[in-house]
Amino acid sequence: MADKTAGAWQRREFMAGLALFGAALGASLGPADEALAAARRKAARLAPHQALMRDVAQLVIPRTGTAGAGEVGAGTFVLLALDHGLDGTRKPLPDALRADPAVAAFARPDGSLDHASWLAAELAKRAGRPFAVATPAQRQSALAALDHDAFAKVPAAQPWHPIKNLILTGYYTSEIGGSKELNYELVPGRWDPDVPVTPTTRSYSSDWTAIDFG
Amino acid sequence: MDFDAIVVGSGISGGWAAKELTKAGLKVLMIERGREIRHQQDYDTEMKAPWEMPFRGEGDAALYEREYPVQMLNRHFNEFTQGHFVNDAQNPYQTTPETQFTWFRSYQLGGRSLTWGRQCYRWSDYDFAANARDGHGTDWPIRYADLAPWYDKVESFVGVSGAKEGLKQLPDGQFQPPMALNVVEQHTREAIAARWPDRCLTVGRTANLTQAKEEEGRAPCQYRSICARGCSYGAYFSTQSSTLPAAMATGNLTVITDAVVEAVDYDPATRRATGVRYIDTKTRTRKSATARLVFLNAGAFNSVHVLLNSATEAMPQGLANSSGVLGTHIMDHANTLSAAAIMPGFDAHTSFGNRPTGIVIPRYRNMETLDGVGHTRGFSFQGGALQSTWTQGKRMEGIGADYKNTLHRPGPWRMVLVAFADCVPRASNRLTLDRSKTDANGLPQLKIEFAFGAEEHAALAQAKAEAAEMLTAAGGQVIMGFDRPGAGGTAIHEMGGARMGNDPATSVLNKWSQAHDVANLFVTDGAQMSSSACQNPSLTYMALTARAADAAVGMLREGKI
Repeated sequence: MADKTAGAWQRREFMAGLALFGAALGASLGPADEALAAARRKAARLAPHQALMRDVAQLVIPRTGTAGAGEVGAGTFVLLALDHGLDGTRKPLPDALRADPAVAAFARPDGSLDHASWLAAELAKRAGRPFAVATPAQRQSALAALDHDAFAKVPAAQPWHPIKNLILTGYYTSEIGGSKELNYELVPGRWDPDVPVTPTTRSYSSDWTAIDFG
Repeated sequence: MDFDAIVVGSGISGGWAAKELTKAGLKVLMIERGREIRHQQDYDTEMKAPWEMPFRGEGDAALYEREYPVQMLNRHFNEFTQGHFVNDAQNPYQTTPETQFTWFRSYQLGGRSLTWGRQCYRWSDYDFAANARDGHGTDWPIRYADLAPWYDKVESFVGVSGAKEGLKQLPDGQFQPPMALNVVEQHTREAIAARWPDRCLTVGRTANLTQAKEEEGRAPCQYRSICARGCSYGAYFSTQSSTLPAAMATGNLTVITDAVVEAVDYDPATRRATGVRYIDTKTRTRKSATARLVFLNAGAFNSVHVLLNSATEAMPQGLANSSGVLGTHIMDHANTLSAAAIMPGFDAHTSFGNRPTGIVIPRYRNMETLDGVGHTRGFSFQGGALQSTWTQGKRMEGIGADYKNTLHRPGPWRMVLVAFADCVPRASNRLTLDRSKTDANGLPQLKIEFAFGAEEHAALAQAKAEAAEMLTAAGGQVIMGFDRPGAGGTAIHEMGGARMGNDPATSVLNKWSQAHDVANLFVTDGAQMSSSACQNPSLTYMALTARAADAAVGMLREGKI
């Protein structure tokens, strides 16, 4: 365990050093440095909503016997996923949502929604103050109300669905969510067609058919 | 370069052609348009966990929209498997304005043998006699008895696990022990049989080993069900795991990858194919090879492409196309989710492992009597019962610990039945070359014109009603079902275009998969199909290929070709 931690620190320092090295050399860099610079630009672009997404993810999947979604980085994954349009999030808004000023205000020039900015505004509206400064109770009730409205098919709450879906993906495809909270078995080695369910039976994050069709 | 035989394509049928021809002692050149993928060395993502992937296995949707807009619709396409599918942007094709056709492709050594669904079903005489019976298309020049011994041969080598059921419409074969039905499927099998004795739910017959084939270095299935990533255990049949090592072991095989065949060369004086011309895609140079025999196994549509693009002064409509039917009568199974149901009462049961096959309910309509409503052929169901996992959370209201704890446990059992309906061969469904649009190699793009008709729609309507009926009889609560087919290509069973037939005036190939017009040219992939049946077709392609290779070698030895 100690070794692992030390390794992680060394890696982090190495990356930080690499970043400084890249910054010092400026624009005349090779492809790898450009990739690093691009990654830094992307991180800067996503940064404003990092805390929001981490906290929202943690409310959806909190710490129980295992870590919660915010703790394992699901919020960061959601921002990356939104940036790359996973779950259809870079498609143009449907007409019904474009007609709603509270949603349309966060539309991009290409017609897609800036989901993270929309979420920040939506939660602030529901909590009566910015999420970052809301009390735990205000945060909880604002998010629960948004989730309820989304499943009650309230149109203006619909953008919550892909965000929630991506939080789930971010958590259950993380090592903690996938292999500690649930079971993960890359090589089962056998097929048991009928196994009794017990009080400790856990679902499998490696049940690929269930992920697609369940 | 001069060979006894050239095999164009390295997928399921190309691998078989190479194996059979090299085993017979012929020096064979196999030409593959895509990159080399080595067994057990190049399955890069096989052992990766989602958290080791940049997009957690879901993939970069922005990249997919740009470069994989068709392939991304394939259910097996994801971040782990994307390297086993073509880049659509780099490999364009055209459709007519009314046509919706998703052409799923894998340009690489092994072709779609790496990504296929592995279902192996024999055809029956209901299928080989279908065209003669209802008048669609042209009669097959063969019947089940012609192919039965070849099915035996390929099943034994491939390794097909399955249960013998004694069904006339889905003949039994040389099976390894079957994988078991799960508890819900077993219950449903019994409920269906009790109400409809002529309907049989059985486990899918799949090219996944339940017993090792040690002599071939293949281990039994590990129940991962991530086959399309590639399987270093060699537990499912692919070119890499099976036919390629067998062919290489003869010492008679030469393989060239990254080489797109643009045309078959033809000598009008001898009326024989003399070899092929191809483009080395790495150097963009044109090359050629000669041989006494040419086998086209480029995949149904691409084999047709090669023939159309081989037009010469002597054969202006395309090679082996004196009939004018080359490119016509293409098919794909009409495919849709007929029913999905919640299956209550099994909460005390779960399973362990990922079985790499579902179930099948073989056709039961239009056999001895024509009892289809508005259609004369068959439909069958595939699918299975499964328990929900964390993705069910996407459909559930809730946040917090209770929500998390619900997703911690196996979810409710569900069962799905997906219909595959026979696709009637029609002259209007066809392939042509669009010479105004070329690809990166300067070759004309393929243009697809395709639509399902009244027969397929009627079959899927009946399939939807009867799927719901069966799941309801098993105690299920049906929650959805469809009767409209997905776009053409959805079943990934595109076939036809160089059909077999008795009459050279109305067909491209004879009963040996041999071109009527060019005696040393054989087309043994899906292009040769005269009808579609409703079974997954790959096993039949393999059997026809082994049979054609045997016939070709015989003709060669007798000096006939």
